Amino acid sequence: MKNITRRLHWYFTLVLIVGLSGCEGYFDLNENPNLVSNPPLKSLLSTTTQKTALNMQRVGGITSYFVQYLASPSAGSSTDTYQETDYTSTWDALYYAMADLTDMKNLASTEGASEYVGVANVLLSYHISLVADTFGDAPFSGAFTGDPLVPAYDSENSLYQTSLTLIDEGIAELSKTDSKIALSGSDDLIHQGDTEAWIKTAYLLKARLHNKLSKQGTYAPTAVLSAVDKSYTSNDDDARMGTFLLRSPWAQVARDNAALVLNGWLSTQLIDQLLGKNGGVYDPRIEKITDKTVNGEYKGTVNGQGNVGGNNTVKDESYISLNSPLTGDDSPLILASFAELKMIEAEAAFRNNNKTRAYAAYIQGIRANMEKLGVPNEQMEKYLTDPKVAVGEAGISLALIFKEKYVVTYLNPEAWNDARRYNYQYAGFKLPLNAALSTFIRRVGYPSSERAENSNNVPNIITLDSPLWWDQ
Amino acid sequence: MKEILPKILVVCFLGLSQIAFSQSVATEISGTVTIAKDNTPLPGVSISIQGSTQGTLTDQNGRYHLAIPNPNTVLVFSSIGFATRQERVGNRKILDITLEEDTKSLEEVVVTALGISREKKALGYASQTVNSEELIQNKQTNIVNALQGKVAGVTITSTGGAPGQGAQILIRGINSIDVNRDNQPLFVIDGILMDNSTSTVGQSAELRGMSNRAADINPEDVETINILKGGAATALYGLRGANGVVVITTKSGKSGALRAHFSSTYGTEAVNHFPEVQDKYTIGYAGVYNPQDFFPSWGPTVEEARKIDPTHPEKLYNHFKDAYKKGQQFQNNLSFSGGTDKVTFMSSFSQLHHEGVIPFTDYDKYSIRLNTQVKFSDKFTTSTNLNFINSGGDRYNADRFSESLSYWSPRYDVRDYVKADGTMNTYGNNNPIYGASTNKLKDNVNRLIGEMNFNYTPWKWLNLNYRVGLDTYDDNRLRTAPGPRGFADERVYEDNDLGFVYQYTTSFRSLTSTLTASATSNLGKDLKGTLRVGHDLYDRQSRSFGSEGNELTVYNYFDLRNAKTITPTQSAEDYRLMGIFGELTLDYKNYLYLTLTGRNDITSSLRKPNNSFFYPSASIGYVFSQHLSLPPSISLGKLRASYAKIGKDALPYSTTTGFASYTNLPGGITGFTRGSLLGDPNLRPEFTETYEAGLELGFFGNRLGLDLTLYQSLSKDQIINVAVSSSTGYEKAAINSGTMRNRGVELILKGSPVRSAHFSWNASLNFAANRNKVLSIREGLTEITYASQYGYSGSTVTMRLIPGESYGNMYGTSHQRYYASGTVEDPRHIDQSLPMVIGANGFPVRNSNQKLIGNSLPKWTAGFNNAFQYKDFSLSVLFDARVGQDRYNQLSNFFSAFGIAKYTENRNETKVFEGVLADGTPNTKAVFLGQGKGPDGAEYGNGYYRNVHRGISENFVEDASWVRLRSLRLAYSLPKTLLDKGILKTVELSVTGNNLWLGTKYSGYDPETSSNSSGSNVDGFSGFTYPAVRSFLFSLNVGF
Repeated sequence: MKNITRRLHWYFTLVLIVGLSGCEGYFDLNENPNLVSNPPLKSLLSTTTQKTALNMQRVGGITSYFVQYLASPSAGSSTDTYQETDYTSTWDALYYAMADLTDMKNLASTEGASEYVGVANVLLSYHISLVADTFGDAPFSGAFTGDPLVPAYDSENSLYQTSLTLIDEGIAELSKTDSKIALSGSDDLIHQGDTEAWIKTAYLLKARLHNKLSKQGTYAPTAVLSAVDKSYTSNDDDARMGTFLLRSPWAQVARDNAALVLNGWLSTQLIDQLLGKNGGVYDPRIEKITDKTVNGEYKGTVNGQGNVGGNNTVKDESYISLNSPLTGDDSPLILASFAELKMIEAEAAFRNNNKTRAYAAYIQGIRANMEKLGVPNEQMEKYLTDPKVAVGEAGISLALIFKEKYVVTYLNPEAWNDARRYNYQYAGFKLPLNAALSTFIRRVGYPSSERAENSNNVPNIITLDSPLWWDQ
Repeated sequence: MKEILPKILVVCFLGLSQIAFSQSVATEISGTVTIAKDNTPLPGVSISIQGSTQGTLTDQNGRYHLAIPNPNTVLVFSSIGFATRQERVGNRKILDITLEEDTKSLEEVVVTALGISREKKALGYASQTVNSEELIQNKQTNIVNALQGKVAGVTITSTGGAPGQGAQILIRGINSIDVNRDNQPLFVIDGILMDNSTSTVGQSAELRGMSNRAADINPEDVETINILKGGAATALYGLRGANGVVVITTKSGKSGALRAHFSSTYGTEAVNHFPEVQDKYTIGYAGVYNPQDFFPSWGPTVEEARKIDPTHPEKLYNHFKDAYKKGQQFQNNLSFSGGTDKVTFMSSFSQLHHEGVIPFTDYDKYSIRLNTQVKFSDKFTTSTNLNFINSGGDRYNADRFSESLSYWSPRYDVRDYVKADGTMNTYGNNNPIYGASTNKLKDNVNRLIGEMNFNYTPWKWLNLNYRVGLDTYDDNRLRTAPGPRGFADERVYEDNDLGFVYQYTTSFRSLTSTLTASATSNLGKDLKGTLRVGHDLYDRQSRSFGSEGNELTVYNYFDLRNAKTITPTQSAEDYRLMGIFGELTLDYKNYLYLTLTGRNDITSSLRKPNNSFFYPSASIGYVFSQHLSLPPSISLGKLRASYAKIGKDALPYSTTTGFASYTNLPGGITGFTRGSLLGDPNLRPEFTETYEAGLELGFFGNRLGLDLTLYQSLSKDQIINVAVSSSTGYEKAAINSGTMRNRGVELILKGSPVRSAHFSWNASLNFAANRNKVLSIREGLTEITYASQYGYSGSTVTMRLIPGESYGNMYGTSHQRYYASGTVEDPRHIDQSLPMVIGANGFPVRNSNQKLIGNSLPKWTAGFNNAFQYKDFSLSVLFDARVGQDRYNQLSNFFSAFGIAKYTENRNETKVFEGVLADGTPNTKAVFLGQGKGPDGAEYGNGYYRNVHRGISENFVEDASWVRLRSLRLAYSLPKTLLDKGILKTVELSVTGNNLWLGTKYSGYDPETSSNSSGSNVDGFSGFTYPAVRSFLFSLNVGF
């Protein structure tokens, strides 16, 4: 027994010592198995190209009410009637995408992958525009590092300059021929690895940026036109993203609406313009954008008014359609199109007093858009020869250009920039019913998350009818 | 280190196998030990030879045999609850002994940290024990619910009445300003750390009342539960015990004859508290009848509708009552125990089947347990406990159920939910019962909890204990909904989409290893000292996988291969913690006790050198009734005081930053995105300092007892994963920041007002109040919004932490108050004394800035438990109260928006709102409350309730205080005389009623229910919840 006691004793002492001494490395569980530290560039390319398109759609989901492509099915809906609305999730999505783009850019820089740097620059530039054109001042120069945790806000004006610089840098990087790593075609969900296509898109964005200054004394239509010259030459060049987990987010809106999660109702403004009311002409694109109601007609909803005429479950209005090539299940999201480029060209040429070029671009833009939508030839020719459309060089006007561009940019956030530059002078354009502002909306308020988490930096609330710097 | 655990085991087994039994036998003595009072034999009495470690136990007949070395041997007879006796053997061969019952609670022994048994009087901190009888008094199947109302300072919230639904337990309030950190206590079962998380893995699982994992334990297996509240009590558990510890000790066998026990219970239940609904107005809008309208109750009166539509029923249905059915449950429990003086065992099997009040919800639990103790020698004992559990059931989304009920029109019978072809039967809106029947989540958990304990006492003054245990489970979840059938007139239940099948598996495994050595010695005539040192290791691993398949080809074939798209989900977590600890106890003359502890933790969730940290505690107990001479009526007097500092580490991987999988891409393309957390490699441990003082008094031979505790805890430099501006590129950042304080008082009164031969009454009252304050959050951060719940028209209620205010504050829109010119409006607080502002249109004006409109924490809680015994009848009555907390009632918000609430029956009246106009003059304008054109010819649009009332959060944050008759149990035991001859030893019949009475002003379901899961720290929302139930349970208990 004594022996055993001694032995047991010894065992316990051993256990104690082994236990107490611990083991080198046993407590070093710093590697998070749910994360990787060094993802390949292509895995960031797939993420960022998809996120960019989805963010465009997200912002479009707000601005489409302001430009009255859409109208809420419920009366007095906050976005629809210019109420200060909390867009935290949109703001967050924009910033998380920019963080990914920043990471891709930094990683690509260290790896000498200039093509990736270029794409990152172009998409960052696009994101900055989305943010600044929606909210105004916003964090960028101090963002994405986590130090400080409360990034300062850059002014709208400096964001514009940054956006322009990034485009130029992007074009320069994409033009380099010695990229250590080539863009992965299968992971580039916008241009499938085609650097030429990216450069063209960069020039389109540059044309947009220059053209955005149309109200400013510094506006240079020649700068717009020189960017246009290096950009798209056909519908095939369009920047589009059609890779979805399940379906296009617009198609999801349409499906939800069909299942009575009401959303995606088209505004009277859009429907009436397409129907040729307000002094226009019947636009066959309406058949490629939406469907007829149960009553066999096209009918929009008045912004701010919501559903009228009995039960809101009766399908007696026009909605975003699954049958449209723009909003079907597999329809790609179009970030920028050849048709839009032509309209930019038309406007810049017009402002440059080159009506010949302006008119030619205007007609090409309409044609390109109709071809894109698959409007039958006969209907297309009928529309293009209608005297109200085919006004000739002498008859071309900004009103016509903006009217046509309004259809071309259906659901695209760029439409709101145009509307503000054009002071919402579209024919028949009215304030929403019971609007919270006495004039058209010019910006949206900062998200509640910024007020809670970055309260010392977020600018004071200004009224939503105070214009952005380029809109003054 | 991984290799070390097995080695430890091997070492121990080797040790065991070499133990031999060698004793020199001289002479034998035998006898019977009986209870002095009635001469009944007393089994399990320990008989030891003084001055040696040899001894034995009495058998079931109180008999014992023991070899003794010589006639001068002195035997010591001891048994818990009896006064110890010593007797010299002399020349006797037979030595019969009677033992006196010891009623002095002074000698009460309680289980403290790490399973150490200590005399209660020696403790310098509060400790409260719930024994088996109290625990199963109300037949709760969830062991956490079984503690309700029984422990001071412990707040238990059964989040709803679903079968198997999780319950939340908080000891002395919320300690962390990070809402994602666990504030619930550590659960320890037989020395093993037991997981009590509430997993919400799986789409919508957070709304489906998932079980807290402690619900797996069979309450009938439990001998005692000790609640360790303060820092000094939990110090030895280290950082894992920072929120308190629930120490569960399961039953063990007693040597003697085999005992068998069988109990069977049948229960029936129904919703205990319904919201009140209007019964005048039917489907339609603006008073216009439309039998297919989306709006369930804004139509005309029933009489008016019947003139238009003769098929309209005479009376509206009460769909809120109709949708719920009667629930029922069956519990069966079979246990065996017994053993010899060397080996004892306890085994049990239990089964539970429970069907809830929401149709198609149920829960099943099977548990099998084997506890064995082996006494190899007087010096070496070992025990093994094994528990296997299978649990789970069909869970439904109570939030959706109640929300859909709010849309459902009472013109139609909600119970008529399915058409002959199996598709949903509806006039238009989703039928909630059809949803419950098709939109499924079923969980199935297989769990094993096992432990092995070795106890070795080489010398009387030294004890060595080693314990190793395992808690492991697989939690499998199947989430399904059928796709559409494609029939022309089919109405698809919205949540079912195009059909889906999701499968999830979580594998959890934790290991606990604890080694303690304790030495006791007399350090002089009046001073006794005990020193304990130990080593503690915890190793946890969790892996989750899921596959979410959407859009089914065959509408009801729930197989991933039948889905159009499949999205995988995956996560993993490892965590390791080691502690080295010491405890020194000094006992001066049996009236002054000092305990000092120290512990050093090494954690895997912080980085070197911050991952190793030390913290101390000290407590003192002064039993002045044993020191000073007091009046005879005072039988016990004791003062306690303690201080403790407890460290706390970070959530795993808070020091790491990286890239996570981007899951929004279709098959064939993978992507990565920046991880949501900005980790900080330099995180430091957080420390909580607690101070506690207490007074215990006993009067009249302890027939009346009082226990008062005051405490304060201050958690500084907290490790929080705080939400940061998304412009940082992160959702959250791990930082050291913020301070939170809790202060409180706990009072326990115990008494035996009546104690006679045939009748006795024992009562205990507990009371507690806690006050929380957020002292600071972070530089540059003015507030942390940690929760919000939707309300119509901007009336969403948010919960925020603001320095200087309490946890649980709720903010929302309010009625504008009138501030005379010159007075400044407080931007955050409402001055309730001021009149409401009425607009020029005659309706109250809304203040859309979010102001403080309530707090979710109770002002005080109390429990009052009574046990009456009259001959063979016993009656127990438990009252439970929670007072001063508010809840946002989302259901009430919808009731306003949809004209369901009883008060909306005044919709066609005209009234003058009390208040003042913007210029301060009284409002005199009469307005119509209804929709459309009023009797005054003016247009009122959507009406008062939709235009104004529903948009004011203040209208829906209600006082959720409650007092309830938590349980009442009446039991009858068959008299012993009837059972003398048969094999049955005891027979008891009982009936238990739970939630028989609820006193509350709250207008929704029982306000104890919560919209959040039991693992959540968000407790401010009680709208669309799984209603609590009133149940009646009939039990038969038979002992063999």
